[in-house]
Amino acid sequence: MANFNIDAVKERTFQAIVIGSGMSGSWAAKELCEHGVKTLVIERGRDVKHIKDYPTTNMLPYEFEHRGQIPLEVQKENPIVSRCYAFREDAAHFFVKDKEHPYVQEKPFDWIRGYQVGGKSLLWARQVQRWSDFDFEGPARDGFAVDWPIRYKDIAPWYSHVEKFAGVSGNKDGLPHLPDGEFLPGFPLNVVERYFQDQLKAHYGGSRHMILARCAHITGNLDYYAQQGRAKCQSRNLCQRGCPFGGYFSANASTLPWAEKTGNMTLRTNAVVHSIIYDEEKGKATGVRIVDTQSKEMEEYFADVIFVNGSALNTNLILLNSTSNRFPNGLGNDNGLLGKFVAFHNYRAGISAEYHGHLEYTTQGGRPTSGYFPRFRNVFKQETDFLRGYAAGFSANRGVYPEQGGVGMHLKENLLNPDQYGPWRVGSHMMGETIPKESNYVALDPNQKDEWGIPLLRVNVDYDDNDEKMVKDYLEQMTEMFEKAGFTNIQTRDDRRAPGLDIHEMGGVRMGRDPKTSLLNANHQLHAVPNVYVTDGASMTSTATQNPSLTYMAFAARAAHHAMKTFG
Amino acid sequence: MKRRDALRSLALLTGGLVLVPSCDFSKEDILAAYQNLQITPTLKQLLADIADSIIPPGKIKGASDLSVQDFILVMVNDCVDENGQQSFMNGLQGFEEFSKKTKGNTFSKLETVQKEELLLAGMTTDAEAERDIRSFLGTTKRFTIQGFMLSEYIQTEVKPYSLIPGDYQGEVLIADIKTDKIHG
Repeated sequence: MANFNIDAVKERTFQAIVIGSGMSGSWAAKELCEHGVKTLVIERGRDVKHIKDYPTTNMLPYEFEHRGQIPLEVQKENPIVSRCYAFREDAAHFFVKDKEHPYVQEKPFDWIRGYQVGGKSLLWARQVQRWSDFDFEGPARDGFAVDWPIRYKDIAPWYSHVEKFAGVSGNKDGLPHLPDGEFLPGFPLNVVERYFQDQLKAHYGGSRHMILARCAHITGNLDYYAQQGRAKCQSRNLCQRGCPFGGYFSANASTLPWAEKTGNMTLRTNAVVHSIIYDEEKGKATGVRIVDTQSKEMEEYFADVIFVNGSALNTNLILLNSTSNRFPNGLGNDNGLLGKFVAFHNYRAGISAEYHGHLEYTTQGGRPTSGYFPRFRNVFKQETDFLRGYAAGFSANRGVYPEQGGVGMHLKENLLNPDQYGPWRVGSHMMGETIPKESNYVALDPNQKDEWGIPLLRVNVDYDDNDEKMVKDYLEQMTEMFEKAGFTNIQTRDDRRAPGLDIHEMGGVRMGRDPKTSLLNANHQLHAVPNVYVTDGASMTSTATQNPSLTYMAFAARAAHHAMKTFG
Repeated sequence: MKRRDALRSLALLTGGLVLVPSCDFSKEDILAAYQNLQITPTLKQLLADIADSIIPPGKIKGASDLSVQDFILVMVNDCVDENGQQSFMNGLQGFEEFSKKTKGNTFSKLETVQKEELLLAGMTTDAEAERDIRSFLGTTKRFTIQGFMLSEYIQTEVKPYSLIPGDYQGEVLIADIKTDKIHG
């Protein structure tokens, strides 16, 4: 029996464990496996194999019973996820349903989750803009949170590393605050988007830019991506269903199969992490406790190094639930700051308008990206009564609208022969930086547990005065720019959505230079438990304005190499 | 009630082909596929006739050739809130009365032109008593157009949908786009 137990432990022992198989976890796994590290990847959800498990990917519009719409009964049962723009009939199976995974909202917070292999990398908007030192130096310059322990030069080579492998389409724009990267050919901006670029140049003298948003889609270097089994983006714009071409980056299409091919990856699905095991004698983490989501049995796995990539808030939950004599308040939580300084992106405001110029033109084909405003407020110096600023999406579209009046043959002819080109429709939405605060936190519920015996997460996150001022400024500035460009019928909106719906929640396990005021060091190691790395959204000290996934991927790759150097 | 529930379950399992004998409504059976609505075969036929007047058959098939009435009922049953469902049912049930009152005959007995006049009158009526007629016709027209345009027939044979729309072109002269007129 003794031998049996030793074997059992041996079978459960790896060189590294990665918790989470999504955007950042799959990158850690890929780097580790590629370099010969025997790695266990733990995923709480089911397996989703590239192509095979994309049931809707080639479905035609008429094959969806409600033509894409989510039935009212499902919406009533799942009010949170129903507010997400991508929760539609074609992708609903990749989203967590409210009822299945409850949490406690001390304040309204729409927590959008994807519990499956690949996580939300199947569902993301694929926008990949680099940070610059105007972002990394923000907290130090403007006096909030703590100073990032890294700068652009530390992460730049890793941005390049992940961009090359993931495939990023974009233009070299030469902007200091939105550094250029390793780009495949960019998609075109259309005639009205280019017109708007020129208008900005004319009215703001080069201080405001609208550029092509960089997106994680393959547009060139096709032989290289063929090695991953991926092909050119076909502009289907059905990305949220999973792409049979592997045209956009997802863990399922790219990093996970790559890791698997090495023979060094073991994938354990349907295993929700309960906690990380801390060995007080050895003074380090030695493994992970999981609960099999089906049998509900607890199991233990062991490794020298542990990567926590459970998605921002779940990474907080795991660490908070990893208690021991040494760490009664959660792993590495000597300063009591674990779970605090959570922040997000402010997506509340948007604007739309019409443009009645260039009416002789339209567009054809598909495009998986749009235009992008890099932040122009408070970049080089403080110039407003609020801190930081916002990026924004921008696009112009020309549609054909059939005249739908009347009934009978006349209506039918109009429907089948639409020739009513409306004006160009232009629009933008804000992506505001929010300031991390101690009062924005997550914590474990002292009483309520989920069906696997894990405490429910309590979320207490809200907007502040800075956010309100920023919404107002975005709407004012965009209105001004739209007016200067001759756009008409300008409509602004502030939908007052709850935090979370941006799906950019960050922080709680922030990086910093000082163990007294941060949880992670410059290498993403817990200050107090250096063989535990956190490289997902939880590690963010501040949020900047860029869509964050690219930065998590670069963090994960960089930290994996640090771990191999340190513990290899 | 238990027996009724069981029959409904059976009906759902068999794709709604089973008719559930109604305890309380009428001499006619209720179609079980639409559990939130009280749809009899007669009402469903009326709905098909109305949809067909909105998008009539011709060289290109019309609404009821494509069973758009099924789509309308699925959408009203699954995607419209209770108030909307109630208005829809009131309007549908009151429609023959509205037809007789306005045009002096039941809908199916009217000429094409009369049917269209009746629908347009119902869609624009301001009369308080005809509020549900207006709401019902608005809903029906919306789903008729959606069901027709997004039907397999239109999307494959008339205006084929492509999963791969082609490379993006951002500056296409409308004058250069050639389209053939489709005669309905």
